[in-house]
Amino acid sequence: MDEPILSIRDLVVKFNLRGQILTAIRGASLDLYQGETLAIVGESGAGKSVLTKTWNGMLDPNGWVESGSIMFEGQDLAKFTTEAQWLTVRGKKIAMVFQDPMTALNPLKTVGKQIQETLELHQDIKGEAAQERTIEILSQVGISEPEMRYSQYPHEFSGGMRQRVVIAITVACNPKILICDEPTTALDVTIQAQILELIRELQVQLGTTLVYITHDLGVVANVADRVAVMYAGEIIEYGTVEEIFYDPRHPYTWALLSSLPQLGVKGEPLYSIKGTPPNLFNEIKGDAFAPRNPHALKIDFVKQPPFFQVSPTHFAKTWLLDPRAPKVEPPPVVQAMQSRYKEYAI
Amino acid sequence: MTTRKEQQAITAIEDDSLFTFAHYDPEAAERTGYSDYSYWGSTFRIFLKNKTAVFLLILMASLVFFTIIQPYLPNQKDPNKIHIDPETGYQLRNHPPDGEFWFGTNVIGQDLWARIWSGTRTSLLIAIIVGIWEVVFGIFIGAVWGYVRQLDALITEVYNVINNIPNTILLMLLAYIMRPSFKTMIIAMCLTGWLGMARFVRNQIVIIRDREYNLASRCLGTPTHRIIMKNVLPYLVSVIVMRIALSIPGTIGWEVFLTYIGLGLPLETPSLGNLLNEGRRVMMSSSLRYQLLFPALVLSVITVSFYVLGNAFADAADPRNHY
Amino acid sequence: MKDENKEVLIEFDNVRVQFKGKGKKPFVAVKDVSFQIYKGETFGLVGETGSGKTTIGRAIVRINQTASGDILFKGRKINGVIPKELDREVTRKIQMIFQDPMASLNERSKVDYIVSEGLYNIKGFTDEEDRKRKVEKALLEVGLLPEFASRFPHEFSGGQRQRIGIARALIMEPEFVIADEPISSLDVSIRAQILNLLSDLQKTKGLTYLFISHDLSVVRFIADRVAVIHKGQIVELAETEKLFNSPLHPYTRALLSAIPVPDPRIEKKKQILIYDPSCHDYSVDKPKWVEIDKDHFVLGNDAEIGQYREMLKNPLAMNNTYAML
Repeated sequence: MDEPILSIRDLVVKFNLRGQILTAIRGASLDLYQGETLAIVGESGAGKSVLTKTWNGMLDPNGWVESGSIMFEGQDLAKFTTEAQWLTVRGKKIAMVFQDPMTALNPLKTVGKQIQETLELHQDIKGEAAQERTIEILSQVGISEPEMRYSQYPHEFSGGMRQRVVIAITVACNPKILICDEPTTALDVTIQAQILELIRELQVQLGTTLVYITHDLGVVANVADRVAVMYAGEIIEYGTVEEIFYDPRHPYTWALLSSLPQLGVKGEPLYSIKGTPPNLFNEIKGDAFAPRNPHALKIDFVKQPPFFQVSPTHFAKTWLLDPRAPKVEPPPVVQAMQSRYKEYAI
Repeated sequence: MTTRKEQQAITAIEDDSLFTFAHYDPEAAERTGYSDYSYWGSTFRIFLKNKTAVFLLILMASLVFFTIIQPYLPNQKDPNKIHIDPETGYQLRNHPPDGEFWFGTNVIGQDLWARIWSGTRTSLLIAIIVGIWEVVFGIFIGAVWGYVRQLDALITEVYNVINNIPNTILLMLLAYIMRPSFKTMIIAMCLTGWLGMARFVRNQIVIIRDREYNLASRCLGTPTHRIIMKNVLPYLVSVIVMRIALSIPGTIGWEVFLTYIGLGLPLETPSLGNLLNEGRRVMMSSSLRYQLLFPALVLSVITVSFYVLGNAFADAADPRNHY
Repeated sequence: MKDENKEVLIEFDNVRVQFKGKGKKPFVAVKDVSFQIYKGETFGLVGETGSGKTTIGRAIVRINQTASGDILFKGRKINGVIPKELDREVTRKIQMIFQDPMASLNERSKVDYIVSEGLYNIKGFTDEEDRKRKVEKALLEVGLLPEFASRFPHEFSGGQRQRIGIARALIMEPEFVIADEPISSLDVSIRAQILNLLSDLQKTKGLTYLFISHDLSVVRFIADRVAVIHKGQIVELAETEKLFNSPLHPYTRALLSAIPVPDPRIEKKKQILIYDPSCHDYSVDKPKWVEIDKDHFVLGNDAEIGQYREMLKNPLAMNNTYAML
């Protein structure tokens, strides 16, 4: 639990979109520890997927790492340039599960073949041994009648089953880090609950480190040990899941929690964040969230805040935590969560 | 995770007034940036970036313009006039290209230069008329076929019947029955030409008609014809233009074919088809190859240009290529 | 036990909707569904993909045809073949908001035309000036600026486009609005805006909503009564809090247990229930739609109804994580 297995420092990622430069990640720093589940939350466009794609070389061809480092197993992944280098990491050590299982699977190959191929590629088993292991994995992910399912094609599976197959493929190599990019967003809620349970079980069995990307705070509460909140290309708050839900400090996290219907009171309007995230083509001065922040201080428009420590595990990038800042009461929803936490503690 | 430098930078901020609340304006957050993206503007911009396409467009435009003004230029000869050598009194047959006859003369002494431009005029005219008919009639049938579910089965049957008769045989039959002439060529090709466009439009409509914005229009009570005009056709304009661009060389091709099998336009009405035919007859003799070369050149240029233009326009009109 | 004071706006009476299936047998999307929607309420309809909830909404606006049964609007049958003026009245009084703001607006038309499209159809304005004023008013009501009328949909964000869709429906001055998953395609931070807007509009205009969603937590927030639909049949219908506190049907209970709750302590401890349709034995004892308690309906055969009555006597024992929130 002490030494992180993946360490990102001041990562800057840019994209070239038809001549214009977009800064998708504006200086992100993060530590990932062995065996934990880290959830990365944020709206679309915040940079969650881009951040994880830098770890296995899946950035779009028009994007690049401008500066910063990604230390993994003694190597700096940010400095990788060739496919050969990525192939030593991708799939084998860092694997990814995407949102849409249909596009992740080859419709022309049987499901069993696809899993087996991965096995034969990354681990040293071939032929019959590989086939047996494949059938084992199929039942491990909760697919009944695995021998029959082995020779079926993806279109013969339902959405939830397909996602299980994708998970099977990633698990076949027993990677150190598994990135799940919104794997259940396209699934029904009952199937989602089952897939989340499956992923949790597999993690316990295999000891994988999970990185979960989602915008659904309910899912975060379910799976995460730690949470990182992203906004406009930077990580603005991170901490243990209880710290983030019961004692959030950044106004953006407050706004996210306050706008959840689950925590709303019927008949009263939900808090909604006005406006849209900033344009990442332009350079942003100060705090990126300032224009939409009802608690913004003047300094938010001038200088970007550094991380302030709330506890050894909880950090937030907001000037409100500076000792000189005025005391601000968090919104009612957050206060309700805080008092509930006190109840649990008792 | 703040470094020592950062710590120092923080404490160095002297101005405590910065730690007071800033004015929060929710309305300002609501205004979005105006993007002046226009679909057609972007389409033409991307099209104009394609140098080959622009070049060919200018070429085609000049060609068409030239075929129109050519008869009014000075020193042009009548395409059907048989020229007689004043010295010998014989017809100036198979005269190679020179200062007098820029493209030479054919086997009975007619000026090829005049014949080629007259022929191009005729062929293009047929192609454009058929193209316009294809568009108007083809889209109308295709739209009705695709959108009005009750008529789907009926029109499909009619389409299948006509489509299953090979175009070749149909055209040959029509040309034979009606006796080849300018008018009958057009009628014959119109009768078969609309099928492709109709089917294409129908397929596009079937794809689009259940999209949510069309359902919304139905919910609001919009009548069918307005849904087709305002919701569906604007999406099809780009593909329709492409189809027209491709149909023009296609029609000329059919005309060439019919001429080849002897059902083309009569010789008094020069067309690229019968010019090519005449040229084909003498192509084995190397000194006479120019009679095949010039019509073939014109036809190739037209065909290639329209294909390239059609595809270039289709690419430019695809919103995925826009920026 | 129909509440005699409340006016019934929409009534479904044994409605069946089917589509052409593979082969001879038609695919039955909605099986003999019956319920009532009262004037002024928000009626939530919850189900997963393929449950038939969207089909029900579309059957009301006559996009889908019914195979049997009646759909009544203020007592008059509006499904099947109806006279022209009833059709026109239905067009005006019943409107729909669609799910995907990216697909529900015509990209090639200006916002001006999109919003007033319905007005053209019912001749709802006297002259051009009047129409422009109505469009302006509709845009302002949904929180958009009138200058947006001359722009095209692609210039706007998802939330703004959805508001254009709402303006388009409301300019018709309907009485009944069907909202088919209006926030599912929107970013999480925008959903609150749209929910607030829908609530406000309901209060100011006295609208009745049919809110279709797969997200029970949203429905809990906005709906007065909730119906749960599974594979074409409504399995339970009750007032919102009643349903969440004492769910009876095993599918409802499974659905409730599966919803992620944004509270780590509760969420990590909860057990999910899995719904297995084979737990029902309908071979001899056929299921019926029974009003088991005041305004609480459930689908079950006699044996199951008996069980449910027992459960109702002791709601706390239901061990319902969702009720804790």
